Amino acid sequence: MGKVAYKKLKGSKNLRQRLVLATLAGTPVVVEEIRSEETSPGLRPYEVSLLRLLESISDDCLVEINETGTKLRYKPGVLMGGKRHMHDCGLSRSIGYFLEPLIILGLFGKKPLTIRLKGITNDSKDPSVDTFRTTTLHMLKRFGVPIGDGLDLKIERRGAPPLGGGEILLQIPIVPNTLSAAHWTDEGMVKRIRGIAFSTKVSPQIVNRVIYAARGIFNSFIPDVHIFSDHRTNATGGGSPGYGISLVAETTTGCLISADVAVSDRKADEMEEELDEKPKLTPPEELGEQAASMLLEEIEQGGVVDSTHQGLLFILCALCPPDVSKVRVGKLTPYGMETLRNIRDFLGVTFDIKPDPNSGTVLLKCVGSGIKNLSRKIS
Amino acid sequence: MAKESRGSEQTHKAHRQHKSGASSKKGKKGKNKGGDGSGAAQKKNPKAFAFTSSTKAKKLQSRTAEIEQRRLHIPVMDRSIGEPPPFVVVVQGPPQVGKSLLIKCLVKYYTKHNLPEVRGPITLISGKHRRVQFVECPNDINGMIDAAKIADLALLLIDGSYGFEMETFEFLNIMQVHGFPKVMGVLTHLDGFKDVKKLRKTKQRLKHRFWAEIMHGAKLFYLSGLIHGKYVKREVHNLARFISVIKPAPLTWRMAHPYLLVDRFEDTTPPHRVLTDKKCDRNVILYGYLRGCNMKKGSKVHITGVGDFSLAGMSSLADPCPLPSAAKKRGLRDKEKLFYAPMSGLGDLLYDKDAVYININDHFVQFSKTDGDNGTASLKGKDHDVGQVMVKNLQATKFSIDERLDRSFINIFGRIPPALALNNNDGESDKRQIDIEDQNQGDDQDLSEKKRAVVEYDTDEDSSDNEGMSEKEAGQPHQSYELREKVEIGDGRIRRRAISSNFTDDFEEEEGDESSDDEDERVDNHVQLSDDSYYSEETDKDEDSGDEDVNSSKWKETDKDEDSGDEDVNSSKWKESLIARTLARRGVNLIQLVYGQPVSNQASAVSDSSGSEQSDDEDFFKPKGQANKGIDDKSSFDDINAEDCSKFMKLQLKDWHARDLIESIRDRFVTGDWSKAAKRGQDANDNGEEGDKSDDEGAYDYIEDLETGEVYNGGAGTDSHDEEDKTGADAEADERRRKKLALRAKFDAEFNGSDQSDEEDKETENKSHGDKPKEGGFFDKLKEEMELRKQLNMMELNDMDEETRVEVEGFRTGTYLRLEVHDVPYEMVEYFDPHHPLLVGGIGLGEENVGYMQATVKRHRWHKKVLKTRDPIIVSIGWRRFQTVPIYALEDRNGRHRMLKYTPEHMHCLAMFWGPLAPPKSGVLAVQSLSNNQATFRITATGYVQEFNHATKIMKKIKLVGYPYKIFKKTALIKDMFTSDLEIARFEGAAIRTVSGIRGQVKKAGKANLGNRPKKKGEKKVKEGIARCTFEDKILMNDIVFLRAWTQVEIPQFYNPVTTSLQPRDQSWRGMKTTAELRRENNVPIPYNKDSVYKPIERLPRKFNPLVIPPKLQKELPFKTKPKAPLKKKRPTLDQKRAVIMEPHEKKLLTLVQSLRTLHNEKKRKRELEKEKKRKAHEKEKAKTEEVLKKRRREERKERYRREDKEQRRTRRRIEA
Repeated sequence: MGKVAYKKLKGSKNLRQRLVLATLAGTPVVVEEIRSEETSPGLRPYEVSLLRLLESISDDCLVEINETGTKLRYKPGVLMGGKRHMHDCGLSRSIGYFLEPLIILGLFGKKPLTIRLKGITNDSKDPSVDTFRTTTLHMLKRFGVPIGDGLDLKIERRGAPPLGGGEILLQIPIVPNTLSAAHWTDEGMVKRIRGIAFSTKVSPQIVNRVIYAARGIFNSFIPDVHIFSDHRTNATGGGSPGYGISLVAETTTGCLISADVAVSDRKADEMEEELDEKPKLTPPEELGEQAASMLLEEIEQGGVVDSTHQGLLFILCALCPPDVSKVRVGKLTPYGMETLRNIRDFLGVTFDIKPDPNSGTVLLKCVGSGIKNLSRKIS
Repeated sequence: MAKESRGSEQTHKAHRQHKSGASSKKGKKGKNKGGDGSGAAQKKNPKAFAFTSSTKAKKLQSRTAEIEQRRLHIPVMDRSIGEPPPFVVVVQGPPQVGKSLLIKCLVKYYTKHNLPEVRGPITLISGKHRRVQFVECPNDINGMIDAAKIADLALLLIDGSYGFEMETFEFLNIMQVHGFPKVMGVLTHLDGFKDVKKLRKTKQRLKHRFWAEIMHGAKLFYLSGLIHGKYVKREVHNLARFISVIKPAPLTWRMAHPYLLVDRFEDTTPPHRVLTDKKCDRNVILYGYLRGCNMKKGSKVHITGVGDFSLAGMSSLADPCPLPSAAKKRGLRDKEKLFYAPMSGLGDLLYDKDAVYININDHFVQFSKTDGDNGTASLKGKDHDVGQVMVKNLQATKFSIDERLDRSFINIFGRIPPALALNNNDGESDKRQIDIEDQNQGDDQDLSEKKRAVVEYDTDEDSSDNEGMSEKEAGQPHQSYELREKVEIGDGRIRRRAISSNFTDDFEEEEGDESSDDEDERVDNHVQLSDDSYYSEETDKDEDSGDEDVNSSKWKETDKDEDSGDEDVNSSKWKESLIARTLARRGVNLIQLVYGQPVSNQASAVSDSSGSEQSDDEDFFKPKGQANKGIDDKSSFDDINAEDCSKFMKLQLKDWHARDLIESIRDRFVTGDWSKAAKRGQDANDNGEEGDKSDDEGAYDYIEDLETGEVYNGGAGTDSHDEEDKTGADAEADERRRKKLALRAKFDAEFNGSDQSDEEDKETENKSHGDKPKEGGFFDKLKEEMELRKQLNMMELNDMDEETRVEVEGFRTGTYLRLEVHDVPYEMVEYFDPHHPLLVGGIGLGEENVGYMQATVKRHRWHKKVLKTRDPIIVSIGWRRFQTVPIYALEDRNGRHRMLKYTPEHMHCLAMFWGPLAPPKSGVLAVQSLSNNQATFRITATGYVQEFNHATKIMKKIKLVGYPYKIFKKTALIKDMFTSDLEIARFEGAAIRTVSGIRGQVKKAGKANLGNRPKKKGEKKVKEGIARCTFEDKILMNDIVFLRAWTQVEIPQFYNPVTTSLQPRDQSWRGMKTTAELRRENNVPIPYNKDSVYKPIERLPRKFNPLVIPPKLQKELPFKTKPKAPLKKKRPTLDQKRAVIMEPHEKKLLTLVQSLRTLHNEKKRKRELEKEKKRKAHEKEKAKTEEVLKKRRREERKERYRREDKEQRRTRRRIEA
């Protein structure tokens, strides 16, 4: 045993999942050829930031990055959790990027995790913090994590790109022993649509326009639509102007299907690439319609979660005790498939995937890996 | 009836009660008891014995409640499905107690076979639904630990004529630490007792001692004696019946880890490798029943006493000892009384994955060549046997096949047919070849299968060549080196061009081959998926045209495709747009699509880069990233550096104002048509209960009906009818539901039946304590939930086909597994001893990592000494045993872990050590050494793992000592306490103290201007590490200053796996030595600090100086207190000066007194002399007797030593035996 056997991986693809799974399975990994062929090789700032975040919430984990950043060596430590953590997520990716791994890792820590994350709260690339609050955290409920019991996300400040300035407070409880396997196949019918539209440093009227446009589409489907508005100014509004909307459809069986979009100025690094092109911002009306159609498309696809949450759902299924979990999703996204592969590589959990021709959805079955919260202290 | 009535008329003989003997006594006793009970009811004053004080009553109540609570424990979920593995019965006891004999007798009882020797586990069928595996526990501590880890039932054999021995208690302790399986004691050697009363007394005594150790009422069995060298048949029969009713206890560790007890062991190293290097790493195959939990492919295992290995191969074999079919009959037929003990050399047939071995005993046929004769002698009698001749020929070969192959040259025409050539090889090599092939298959299965299509149409000549080879190989997929190269040439780019006509031609050719078909599909899909636009555009088109229709057509098509390998159908089909086809097939092999990807993916990635390098000559100087961009633009899916984004962005959104679009998903909303929605989710309702609550409840109601005795079918019928009406489901689904209901009903009936008695008990209890809350409800609910979950699991898993099931859940417990392990140290094979149980345990996730562990341990009260920090101990945690260096600690009130030099005598303490991590709550067993010749108790400490950390904080006290360097008023510069100014900065504000008790504080590092300046002008360097401190009073130059602080203790990062299987079993394993051992060996005395040695305290009488009162003060004093010392006299006083002149009378008196005194003195002197003489004589006498006594004593001692030596030799011989 003496020497540490590193698992070798290539490329920066799915780095987050790989790190999460490596941490949970206790597998040291070496990732090579990270963007080695590109003009700007190596790890991106947000990836480094994520690694630093992992370092701060775990004990004795080892992160080594070579000079060019094309090779990464990661040896996981013991997840500690704890209070008063603070992390600046930077401005290259939004907080959503960091939240996804964090909520899984937080569950398996030694102590409940409370962390304050700073950066961009809403952008178009990653799921927004609103979606996390309304949808993602509720997914954990299905796997035996009691909601409301230390599971919370507070948006203290909003921040849109490029300057960010948002701040959230995330609280995640630990699982006492294991998650519980979920049998989650009934998607039900959409009974209500809720949402939140926000704006920072722009006219509050914009929010209303977004909401109006979105409602216009939903009107032909369901009357129970309520979209809250959240207009932020001053310090709570972050550094730059922007607006967006996050929509959630709740079904009769309690499934939550979400979609979100946001609009703001381009990020700094993206601006460099296309200097001469002045990016056109989507007008509020179009944004509202876009969000609504995205949600409708998610609904059309079916499944108990939307396409964004597929990866998380699969990971949670794989982390269950060795019982059969069964879930239904819409079309498998590339991200979801990569997740399945990573899960197989790290946890040895293979899914049985069967399409359901009746509804055009996919049924996935797996026997959990039986991961326990080992870092928890028993007394 | 008539008979009976007549019988009733008949007068019977009246029952006569016994008036003497045991039964009459028993009856009386019972009666008395009964009388007591009835008497209590009819007592004159029943209130006299009721509670008088309410507090007392409360106390008693809470006590009973407490006891009740303690009885309850959280039920553990049993996830095993199907036939359970054989029940492991470990037979343990001190040497010479009759362990092997007991096993032999039991085997004889079960199978009617005589077992010559007990080696390794013996599996046999003990009943219609039960198999038993007997294992004899070896007597060294390693074997005992391993045996305790696998035992489901331990038979502790105890020598009745001798009493309990330490081995029994040690084994009990080991079992307690590693989860306590069922235990039964067996007393043997009871035939030595002649006196019946003594026998009874002994039995009683031993029984009570046994009860004290395990629990009151633990079963202790008596084997009264031997008949014809065997235990009494009746008693063995009884014992067997007791064994057959015991159920294994659920143990947490074992439920969470797969493990197998190896009952067959093969070395499959290629013989030529062994020939060239005898000490080469070996490949071994281990066989055994899988226990504990399911085992997935690719998991790592720990082989006890050897180490951790990843499995090279893993497959399930046919059960060598299968349970008889479940036909209804009473007992077992003789034919079904199978038994399986390959290590004991029993059972003539052995099944392997790819071969069957027939074992023929050597004394029946002698094949092996004797050294003396040249093989002719053995041929004498029966030289006509062709098979034998062949075998002999084979033995005579000098070279291994590889060598022969090297030497041989290819003869195209006149060569031996391949089948014969194969036959020429001896069995061993044949098997090996197959093995290699298998292995290749295992390794490259994905690869080869995926690439085969490409390869085959690439190289036609190749296949013709292959035909020339052996038949077998032609049947197998080809995996030569050549082929691999081909694979690499046939790179991803060729396959990428899947849509071109070129490809489809090939495709047609390959259509017959199913696997290649799959491959092509996969490729297609791959291409499609790699295209970003796949999801956005193509799917949109399809979905626009209406979901259901497209879907249904898809499925029909796929069905057709699978059914017919016809060219016609295919040709007609491929004319449709290929995209649609791939879409149609998407569902068929989604699993392959997801999981089959990576291999080809990598290959394609590699080829991509190489291809780009080769092709673009003109833009040679293009920047790297840009060059790739053109290619990678399309296939972000393949890109290993694709952006990590969970959000799935669609380029184009549909216009949801369109009416038909709106209608298409109308039913997904509550405002839509509910019945249609129900149809959509029907499948889900079929399998999943969670969602549909009403369905569930219906099922429950229905079961309750069953309990009350209502007809089963009627209920089900109505239920199903309702269901049918509602959903209009087809018959198949209904049948499935019915099956499910039946299953559940069956379970519930069982469940209730098993718990019926329990519940009744509870009810009666509830009656007795009227207001007791019912806590059984929670447990019942928990149990029910678990059972439901299990049923659900079973149902879901049984839906899958065998292969995917194994892929998804792993091999089930109870399957007979064949594990292939490569690169095992040769010692394992060399020193393999079937007497020692070999345990293969699966390693859970994260358990192969190494780190610090914190365990609560307690020194065993029978171990003579306390344990010392940093003395190596051997711990057994989980499957592993390793030597490590612990540091003991206690947690202080403020949460600090304080190091202890020694473990407390009778208390738990924390032990921190470095080693392979084990999950919290797993038991820890510590042993100091593994040697056998220790007379005392070998287990030193027990405990359990509390948590693991990567950093540990154990602190110990430290005392920094300093001396004043310069003293100002209340400030002093202290030297020698710190070594640098940096260190001082860390201790600023720390409290210090002098020996005399003056308290102070460290301020700052002393500056140059404060006296800490260089002595000479030229000397620039200011002395470092001088601290300025302030005190509450001025200190003296000869004071010593202390600073008390805490410092962290480093835990040695040392652990040493115990590898007892890699050495002869009779040798004791040697690990790191303790310091005491090293000192003893090298004759090094214990170092000590001279200052710490106790010396006799010498206290000189104190001399006080005279008190001097200054004259100034004296003057002021009142007269009373003024010193009134007289002046010193210069001249002697009159008294001193005067002379004495005696009177004559006085003189006479004085002389008389003087003479009397002389007389007395003289007398005294004489008396003394005489006394001395007497004493000397007496001494002489004494010496003489002493001499005699000494002689006698020496003889006595000699005799005693001789006797003791003899006894010792006898015991040693017994141990050796």
